[in-house]
Amino acid sequence: MIEVANVTKTYHAGRPNAYTAVDGVSLAVERGKLTVLKGPSGSGKTTLLSLVGCMARPSSGRIHLRGVRTAGLPVPEADGALEITSLPERFLTEIRRATFGFIFQHFNLIKGVSTLENVMLPAYPLGGDPAALRRRAGELLERFGLSRHAREPIDRLSGGEMQRVAIARALVNDPAVIIADEPTAHLDSHLSEAFMALMGTFKEGGRTLLIASHDPLVYDSPLVDATHELRDGRLCAKAPA
Amino acid sequence: MIQQPGVLALLAASALVAAFLALAAGFGLRILRRWDLRSGSDLQLALERETYLVSTLVAFALAAEVVSLFLFVFTADGLHGRFAGAMCAAGTLNAAPGGYATLLLKVADCLLAGVWLVLNHADTRGYDYPLIRVKYALLLVLAPLVWVEAFLAFRYFTGLKAEVITSCCGSLFSQGQGGLAGDLAAWPERTAMAVLAAVLAALFVAGGVFLRTRRGAYAFGLLSGLAFLAGAGSLVSFVSVYIYELPTHHCPFCFIQAEYGHVGYLLYGTLLGGGIAGLGTGALTPFRHRASLAAALPALQRRLVLAALLCFGLFALVVAYRVGTSSLRLGP
Repeated sequence: MIEVANVTKTYHAGRPNAYTAVDGVSLAVERGKLTVLKGPSGSGKTTLLSLVGCMARPSSGRIHLRGVRTAGLPVPEADGALEITSLPERFLTEIRRATFGFIFQHFNLIKGVSTLENVMLPAYPLGGDPAALRRRAGELLERFGLSRHAREPIDRLSGGEMQRVAIARALVNDPAVIIADEPTAHLDSHLSEAFMALMGTFKEGGRTLLIASHDPLVYDSPLVDATHELRDGRLCAKAPA
Repeated sequence: MIQQPGVLALLAASALVAAFLALAAGFGLRILRRWDLRSGSDLQLALERETYLVSTLVAFALAAEVVSLFLFVFTADGLHGRFAGAMCAAGTLNAAPGGYATLLLKVADCLLAGVWLVLNHADTRGYDYPLIRVKYALLLVLAPLVWVEAFLAFRYFTGLKAEVITSCCGSLFSQGQGGLAGDLAAWPERTAMAVLAAVLAALFVAGGVFLRTRRGAYAFGLLSGLAFLAGAGSLVSFVSVYIYELPTHHCPFCFIQAEYGHVGYLLYGTLLGGGIAGLGTGALTPFRHRASLAAALPALQRRLVLAALLCFGLFALVVAYRVGTSSLRLGP
């Protein structure tokens, strides 16, 4: 599904404060599997997630997606792979919206806006029917037991509730891939286990999951299909879970 | 040099456009030599990122270049009161060396700049930078022309002295004057009308054929270029005399003045717009089979053809109206 080929990301390249966050990483993420990037803080997990999720561009190397079809973007290569790192921004935006759902470490929910609207936000640029979108967002909130908070400002919710809103938001565009960055960092063990159980249902539903975490509750979970360990921006181990 | 706001704005714009294009030309050379989309090298990825910035800057610079053509004519017209003998921009442009050379080069640069903007727009519609080499190669042709234009403009404006006695447009654009202006003025009215009508008719037929069958884009581009030239020539040859209602006055500048409702700006604007859209249609045609442009190019070419037809059609209507409503009637 996702092939990362010799990717390097250097911030402030060519300056005295140059910092290489990801250094020559190659790995593959299989379709319908749960893959975990593990490693300590500063090991490059978040940077690699942002590169895979088309939120940043690498300094060198390429990333290929397979089986992705977006409007106006035919698959140009004979093997069905789409090279995404060279794509102009407008195409990258299209892929980011249609293919990936993001769950951020700090949730990145919009304060002062209602729970329902937070879930609807990623779908606004697609320009679909507002009533259908509202209905879809409402169904997601109901699925996560948050219907009673739909009209409430997001900042009144607890940490666990906010994370479920973030998950609902990640699903609103029905993405093929869910990317989660340290999703259990602010959760207790009970909520972390509930989160992983939810990831299990997504996996059963055929979604591809890529999670960055240094929480053993995540990378030691029996749901995990593959683990890639990063240290100082380099891939240091690859072992089946 | 006359330190008038228009002059200072034109010189500043010329310097900025020339500087942007110098930077972009250096980057263009790197693109032509090192661009390789199959590579994942740090150089290739840096080129991919930088081309966004460079293309955006060049697009704004060239849009300013197109707009500055009209400011140039407007400024030259506004300055004519400072020169003894000048009645309009024609006299001002003759008041120092390089005035007409700057104008003609500016017109050529504006057409090329417009075509570059069309190519750049098409390039951004493709997912694999399909026209990147073409647009930077064209930029390497355009940049030296813009530098020469900036030099000529600087020489011309710094050479303008208020006490200079210059020729009026009646003398510069008269049938016995010789040169391009005199030849155009001496171009028989009936012949000029017939040529303009024939070229515009052929252009509309070619446009109709393209819109129905998507064929004949090269012919449409060529005819657009011819229509631009025929239109510009006809303004000197016969349109001017009908507008002024004076059979010997062939000036292509007086009719931009308020006395004639500034109709010259409309005539030149439609000619330039039609020329750019038509030439742009032809310039895109060699790339219509590129996979990444297959979806976007037909629609873009269709819009360009419609824009060109609209511009030239408006030009023809204004010319027909001014000729038809003029009190002047020329004999056979």
